Amino acid sequence: MPVEAIASATGTTTMEITVSKFELLRELTATQGVVERKTTIPILSNYLFEAAGDKLSLTATDLDLSLRTSCNAKVKKEGACTIPARKLHDYVKLLPDADITIKLLENHWVSIRCGRSNTKMVGMARSNFPSLPTFPTAGVVKIPAQVLRGMIAKTGFAIASEESRYTLNGALMVLKPESMTMVATDGHRLSHIERAGTKFEGVSGEMKTLVPKKAMDELKSLLDSTDAEEIDFAKDESTLYFRIGSRLLTSRQLTGQFPNYEAVLPKDTTKSITVHGDDLAAAISRVAQFADERSRAVRMRLEKGELKLSASSTEMGESEDSIEIDYNGETLAIGFNAQYLLDFLKATGGGDVKLEFKDAQSAGQMRPAEGEEYKYRYIVMPMRI
Amino acid sequence: MPFSDFHGNSDVLHRLREMLARQHFPQAVILAGPAGSGKYTLALMLAKTMNCRAPTVTGGLPDFCGKCSNCTRIAQSEDLESRFAEAVEARDNLREADKKETRLFVQTHPDVLVVPPDPPQMMIKVDQVRRVIETIYFRPAEAKERVYIFSDSAFMKEAANSLLKVLEEPPEFATIFLLTENPGELLPTIRSRSMTVTLNALRGEEVELYLAKHRPDWTAKQRSLVARLSEGAVGRARRFDLAAYTAARQHALVILKSALNTSDHSELFKVTETYRAGAEGRDKTDNLLRTLYSLLQDLVMFLGSGTPELMRNTDIEGELRKLAESADFEWIASAADRLAEVERGMRRNLLRSLSLDAFAVALEKTGT
Repeated sequence: MPVEAIASATGTTTMEITVSKFELLRELTATQGVVERKTTIPILSNYLFEAAGDKLSLTATDLDLSLRTSCNAKVKKEGACTIPARKLHDYVKLLPDADITIKLLENHWVSIRCGRSNTKMVGMARSNFPSLPTFPTAGVVKIPAQVLRGMIAKTGFAIASEESRYTLNGALMVLKPESMTMVATDGHRLSHIERAGTKFEGVSGEMKTLVPKKAMDELKSLLDSTDAEEIDFAKDESTLYFRIGSRLLTSRQLTGQFPNYEAVLPKDTTKSITVHGDDLAAAISRVAQFADERSRAVRMRLEKGELKLSASSTEMGESEDSIEIDYNGETLAIGFNAQYLLDFLKATGGGDVKLEFKDAQSAGQMRPAEGEEYKYRYIVMPMRI
Repeated sequence: MPFSDFHGNSDVLHRLREMLARQHFPQAVILAGPAGSGKYTLALMLAKTMNCRAPTVTGGLPDFCGKCSNCTRIAQSEDLESRFAEAVEARDNLREADKKETRLFVQTHPDVLVVPPDPPQMMIKVDQVRRVIETIYFRPAEAKERVYIFSDSAFMKEAANSLLKVLEEPPEFATIFLLTENPGELLPTIRSRSMTVTLNALRGEEVELYLAKHRPDWTAKQRSLVARLSEGAVGRARRFDLAAYTAARQHALVILKSALNTSDHSELFKVTETYRAGAEGRDKTDNLLRTLYSLLQDLVMFLGSGTPELMRNTDIEGELRKLAESADFEWIASAADRLAEVERGMRRNLLRSLSLDAFAVALEKTGT
């Protein structure tokens, strides 16, 4: 048994704090996403509470991802303990809005008192909790929170969920001194967004980071609920760090090379049309009802002055929609997975979109027709129809 | 406990440690050997050596300190049975909806994951392998190497196929150990992607020496008996439940005697009656069947091969000799066949006491 474990087993560690229910619950709710629900490794379903100074810090981890946050507390005795995360959250939710006193008892039991309610929960030894990486002091980059949030929303959906292609199970974030790019792909489609004009201090050359999908999802929900303008980003050999306000998200790094996506960005598209995003999304949704259920293939036909969308399946029948467009080139028929197109149209949120093609065998490109701030492009591989 | 605590198979150990020293350790290793030969212990020792914070050198080869935070946390997995029981309990305490999707793992160090067979089927399931695939490409957090130990080779078909994917292209910082009693049980495609290391059974005298050190509470005679019964596996020898074995053997003798000297059935029924249905009776029955086999084998040593020095139940030699007088080779052969039938019956959940009665009675007719 390690020395720390003996110390805590004999009850030499203490902790006693008082914290407001509102603040505690807010932080508990924010960290629930990281707590593993379906695990048989007991410590992972626990929070680590550490009290020092006038702060209580809470940590949850699933080993790949960890989230550390803190709230104000009156610390009577400094110390640390672990508490079952889910039960605590469920219980604190039901407490009245008042101060809660949390005290470490013998044998890792934790007492929680609030008003006339009194509860004791069974914790575990603090030494069982995985040790957490500490935020590096050098190489910290500030990223505007809303920029990052927008980029995640516009690329995250294209991340692969296939287990066999692990390097695609994340998005690539590229930081340059004056621009930031995020790319995600699952091999069938690729979402690429770039923003120039923001200065990133401390970045020289190109800083490429593969951000795991789990970290992206968690980051997004943290960004959704923050009013911080900038977040701190840093990384070392094994870990990525994102500090959002008083919360610190760390993720283990994925290994592997992100594919050379620049090679697939189409350069010689010859046909281009502009349509209203909402109209296009509505038309695709309608005809997709009649698409083959497995392939979800819809056919796009560019004709003079008209974009025809159609789909058919032997069981359901067939459907066609047409949209008026300004087009004078050759006729082109090309097939796409309806879901892939809809994902993009949803992420752009209405507005006019530009569709660019070369031929029926080459990837199609979609992008918002307006918007100088971001360079957002979406590349979809065609389907044989 | 450094490598010097590992008993036997010193050549295998030497080879593995040499690979560690040269940083040429294979990424996938099949550790084969009989139950109790130390496969799991060895895998953990190697995991510690890879990740020890204060690595030592013994005999010119890498070793581990056993005291640093990595070593001690990995060491917490050593008692696999308890960790496994804890995991099962943790799962039982989950909400109904989560239970179904939860798979068992033992992980006392963030970078060392032990994958035990998942009950009730006691096989490794595809979700367990998926978890390995999901996590293996993350860089190690507190250690240098991520280590995955599959403690059993009974894979569900899908799980085995899924494992192939990782074995094809594991990240450079990961090592996968597959422990098995029978490498043939693994897919040939898994075997071809891994290096097989076999732990051999030790000689009886070696096991006796080991027991003299670790089980001083047994008498020399008992140690010699256990050494012979544990088939060269020190782990099995150390954990050997002598009392249970002696009890099972007593019953086995009653059954055999009743079959060979058909006088009175009352004693037989008294014995078989205690083999009840239900989960708790299973181990007892398994023990009895195994003991019956071992007695039959000893009888063969007396009869067919004329090599009584190879017999294992040395302490009851006299009784066995008497039994051997009334048995013949054919009888033993048919008894072994029937015993196999009883075993099959057990898997189909036949009534235990009746199957044993039938076994004894059937042998009377074909016997003397």
